[in-house]
Amino acid sequence: MKKILAVLAMMTLPIVAHATVRVVTTLPDLADFARQIGGDKVTVDHIVRGDQNPHFVEVKPSYMMKLKSADVFLMIGMELEMWAPQIIDGSRNARLDVVNLSKSIHKLEVPDKVDASQGDVHRYGNPHYWLDPRNIRAIVNEIVASLIKSSPADEQFFRTNAEAFLKKLDTKITEWEDAMRPLKGAKLITFHKSWSYFAAWLGLDVVDQVEPKPGIQPSPGHTAQLIQKVRAGNIKAIVVEPFYDASAPQQIARSTSATVLRLPTSVGGVDEARDYISMMDYNIRTLVEALK
Amino acid sequence: MLRHAICAGALLALVFVSGNAQTSLNPDISVIPRFIIDSHDGERLADGVREFSRPDFRFQELELVVSSYLNPFSRADVVLAMHSHNGDHVDFSLEEAYATVFRGLPLDLNVRLGKYRVDFGKINMMHPHQWAFVTQPLSQERFFGDEGLNDLGLSVSTLLPTGNIYTKLTFDLLRGTSIGEATGIEDTTEAKPTYATSGRVMSFFTLTDYSDLETGISMYTGIHDPYNRDRFWYWNFDFKYKYKPDMYTSLTLQGEYLFNTRKGRQDREFNQFVDDAGNPERRSIKTSGMYIFADYQFLKTYSVGARFDWSQSPYDDDDKARAIAVFFGYYPVEETLGLRLQYQNTRTDIAGVSQSVNSIALQVLFSLGPHKAHPF
Ligand SMILES: [Zn+2]
Repeated sequence: MKKILAVLAMMTLPIVAHATVRVVTTLPDLADFARQIGGDKVTVDHIVRGDQNPHFVEVKPSYMMKLKSADVFLMIGMELEMWAPQIIDGSRNARLDVVNLSKSIHKLEVPDKVDASQGDVHRYGNPHYWLDPRNIRAIVNEIVASLIKSSPADEQFFRTNAEAFLKKLDTKITEWEDAMRPLKGAKLITFHKSWSYFAAWLGLDVVDQVEPKPGIQPSPGHTAQLIQKVRAGNIKAIVVEPFYDASAPQQIARSTSATVLRLPTSVGGVDEARDYISMMDYNIRTLVEALK
Repeated sequence: MLRHAICAGALLALVFVSGNAQTSLNPDISVIPRFIIDSHDGERLADGVREFSRPDFRFQELELVVSSYLNPFSRADVVLAMHSHNGDHVDFSLEEAYATVFRGLPLDLNVRLGKYRVDFGKINMMHPHQWAFVTQPLSQERFFGDEGLNDLGLSVSTLLPTGNIYTKLTFDLLRGTSIGEATGIEDTTEAKPTYATSGRVMSFFTLTDYSDLETGISMYTGIHDPYNRDRFWYWNFDFKYKYKPDMYTSLTLQGEYLFNTRKGRQDREFNQFVDDAGNPERRSIKTSGMYIFADYQFLKTYSVGARFDWSQSPYDDDDKARAIAVFFGYYPVEETLGLRLQYQNTRTDIAGVSQSVNSIALQVLFSLGPHKAHPF
């Protein structure tokens, strides 16, 4: 009898364990949101490290393993994660719910026509929308919907957590906007077009990129042009993600009065960026310091 | 000739249509031509003269890759190759054409059907344009021929329950056509097809955030001599280690060791094996081959590396070759354009007579079309 009970207990165990929704995300930022919403009703893992370029990720079998047993896969979409379909297909997971979070985002820089002469241009528009914190509400709503689909019984729990998180975020958004208001119209150069949404939100003027074309390595000619632009335009900062080689930006900085700012675009990009809010705190603080 | 023209026209039409329409229902199409300029000093060795031949500029191959989802559960891939063997005569060959069911099957099975590069070892699944070097490793060339192990067949794979470690088991039932490539014996018997089978088990280990290791064991068996129905067995051990600390730098170490056993009555050139008394003999042959290379990628666009090959013949342990190669690669914008420069010294040693040849090659390749993310 005891044996039978033990066997029964073992058989029910996986069902109990299944009560938690297994979420995998591409970016660590999305993992942060999923944790905020899902609390102890979810397990969350992510694929891209914060110090890694999200455009270029190798298709590793270990990532397929992460997705193999997952219920929900959250991704930014708009072809930021060109590598994701191969990982999804390699996971052999037929019941995986793949959620593209860009559905209701107001998209910037959607090109009319795309060919390779323009570089690695994102053909559905600029996918770096998570750097405008006002877009997080749409992201959170999508995540809530997908979690409810996987675990309908926890609907209220997810909604309450999401509201609490968004409220906290709204307070922070006001705080960040206040801090940046005096810097409206400030001119910046960025390495890649990752900061378009961020700049549109805060009224910053991104004059040019260190990359001559998206995804194309800096060239001496373009760097020389940038030096002229920085001198002529009183540009104070060159924003570079931690994973890009800073030698071209440093070269511009040495010949001008601009400073190179290493700003993370994802959680974990620098030590201070422990979650989305602390990452944005860090970015705003660093910018205010540099631009004032 | 007319058939080729029609074929080329159809391909161009396909490329043209897909290039102009924006719907994602069109298949992904890539075109990858390779050219080579090479020279070696082995041409007049028989006359006792060692001098480099006049550099020859050749069109090596053009690969046309068409791939698309068929439905949510499967996809299809077709690779057509256009070769030119010196001069302007061009021929097409169907390198691969297969469908893969990757989702929705019981036991997480993955099924592949068609003509394809077989999941055997590590380099066999790679197309030459994906190599870091110019020449094919001697062991693969000697044991499989130019095209590697590429056959008609049915492949089934599953993931083994090894916790968080990815372990894949693949089993292939093959027509056996590729064996002719490996042995020189064309299957001209009217007899039934000589099926071959192959299998591989591979594991992927994440060592650190920046380094991974893949190891695999493969086997391949079939009838190499259809007249006498003599069988061979290949066992292959492979590994690939990659350290990638940032997006600009990586170090790859990769190697394979192949062990061959077979019973045979004649060699590649149909020469009968005879014993000391001159009587025909059925020999038991055990030979092997290996390669190992290191490739260091730096500043994103450069690569430098070296490869060591050693291989016996599938038929004769007294027929050996070894090669040492150093190579340099330049890829200014991802894999859209590539230049590879390679120096290789190849030393063959047949029954105690050895010969050494030096060769230099410059390869140019480019790639049109969408670029998939790189597999590990
Ligand atoms: Zn981008």
